[in-house]
Amino acid sequence: MKELLVKLGQVDRRYIFLFIAAAVVLPLLFPLNFPTRATPHTRAVFDIIDQIPPDNNPILISFDYGPSIMPECHPMAYAILRHAFARRVKVVGLTLANDAAGLAEEAFRNVAREYGREYGKDYVFLGYKAGGSAVILSIGEDLKKTFPRDFYGKPTAEIPMLAEVHNYNQIPLIIPLTGSATATFWIIYAGTRYRARVADGVTAVMAAELYPYLQTKQLSGMLAGLKGAAEYEHLVEEAGYSRGARRASRGMDALSTMHLVIIGFIILGNIGFFLSRRDAKKGESR
Amino acid sequence: MKRRVPLLICLFSGLFFGIQFFVPHHQVRQVYSNGLRWLIVVAAFTIIMAVGSLIVHHLRRVHRRTKGWGYSLVTLGTLLGMVAAGAATGIRPGSLFNKLFLNVQAPMQATMFGILAFYIASASYRAFRARSKEATLLLLAAIFLMLSAVSFIGYYFPRITTLSEWLLMVPNMAAQRGILFGVYLGTLATSIKIILGIERGWMGGGR
Repeated sequence: MKELLVKLGQVDRRYIFLFIAAAVVLPLLFPLNFPTRATPHTRAVFDIIDQIPPDNNPILISFDYGPSIMPECHPMAYAILRHAFARRVKVVGLTLANDAAGLAEEAFRNVAREYGREYGKDYVFLGYKAGGSAVILSIGEDLKKTFPRDFYGKPTAEIPMLAEVHNYNQIPLIIPLTGSATATFWIIYAGTRYRARVADGVTAVMAAELYPYLQTKQLSGMLAGLKGAAEYEHLVEEAGYSRGARRASRGMDALSTMHLVIIGFIILGNIGFFLSRRDAKKGESR
Repeated sequence: MKRRVPLLICLFSGLFFGIQFFVPHHQVRQVYSNGLRWLIVVAAFTIIMAVGSLIVHHLRRVHRRTKGWGYSLVTLGTLLGMVAAGAATGIRPGSLFNKLFLNVQAPMQATMFGILAFYIASASYRAFRARSKEATLLLLAAIFLMLSAVSFIGYYFPRITTLSEWLLMVPNMAAQRGILFGVYLGTLATSIKIILGIERGWMGGGR
């Protein structure tokens, strides 16, 4: 038994890969529907959107993610769009990532179809603009001069939904969805410079970096990784805004089992490590 | 002259963009606003430079038959293929470009990133060993954070979530804030050096 435990401290990585693959694939094939409880940071984002009056000023979603982090950020986009469209909150979308326009457009098109929302009246997609922080600052001066045309080539000055939207003063909430430093750019440039309200949706690995901004309230809320997306989905469903659209929750089943497998391996590795170290010490004392 | 003009432009732009923050006059705002739009145009040109540099790099690899030159050929072929698809059918929904992006590029990139999970699992199994007091603390923090990321554990044992939230809000935040102060003070010092022409690495030539 002891020998077996020591051996478990030196498992070949191919076995670890096999267990991880099973932990990811099986819950996707046979959903476990683990229950979820929203953290205060996720609930804060939900509450802000829930309090925005319908058919009023639009929220701004910046789709700053490419396909590589799409499994974490795309479900956030879907859940937030469902919430906004269900409540008739208007949405302006744009992207600062050059490989995100296709993903953002797809999310808008699918959710708008689901809720019967109309382009130009309920939502607008401005597309991609190079420049990062310069674009964020420029929107603070004039949105329509920064984006003279939308993603489809239509002049933004002719879009009815944007008639009264000039800069951040008419935007009650900005939600950048990203896995890069763009998250802090929005806080620093739009939030601090123009006093806009910002709530980030970021990859789990990015979340730890943003806690200082949460504490200073420069960040009004945060969706952290796939878990944040699943929590938001849960809140949207709990409030009755959507039914059965559980894109992130399905992924969370796989992520949860994978975490448990990794924790199990770490514990086994440490048991093996302690036993082999104790044997080595005994050998030295003899 | 070749060096002085860029240095003067840098000095003037740096001082202006710093001072304008405190001057609400409409003409200053107008210049600032135009300056931002120039920056956006310049940023667009950097993309052209990046694509150009990518093409030149891979053409050179193919020409010299460097090891793995076949991959460079695939890179060039797919780059030109996507450009051709975009030019011929546009980038709107339903176009060939859009279909290729959503059904080929997006799943491939997501898969590449997904493979990381296997390496992270294997690395954490080997690295997270309680070899010292510090390593034990790191190990425990990692386990609590991973446990709180398991949906049903957060649901049935909210205290684990509270503990992991404390770890993020107190020790993590203290460390992050220290790092941020260091980074931003460094950024400020470097910016001043660039504006005053002390740091000239951006002009090329390494001086």
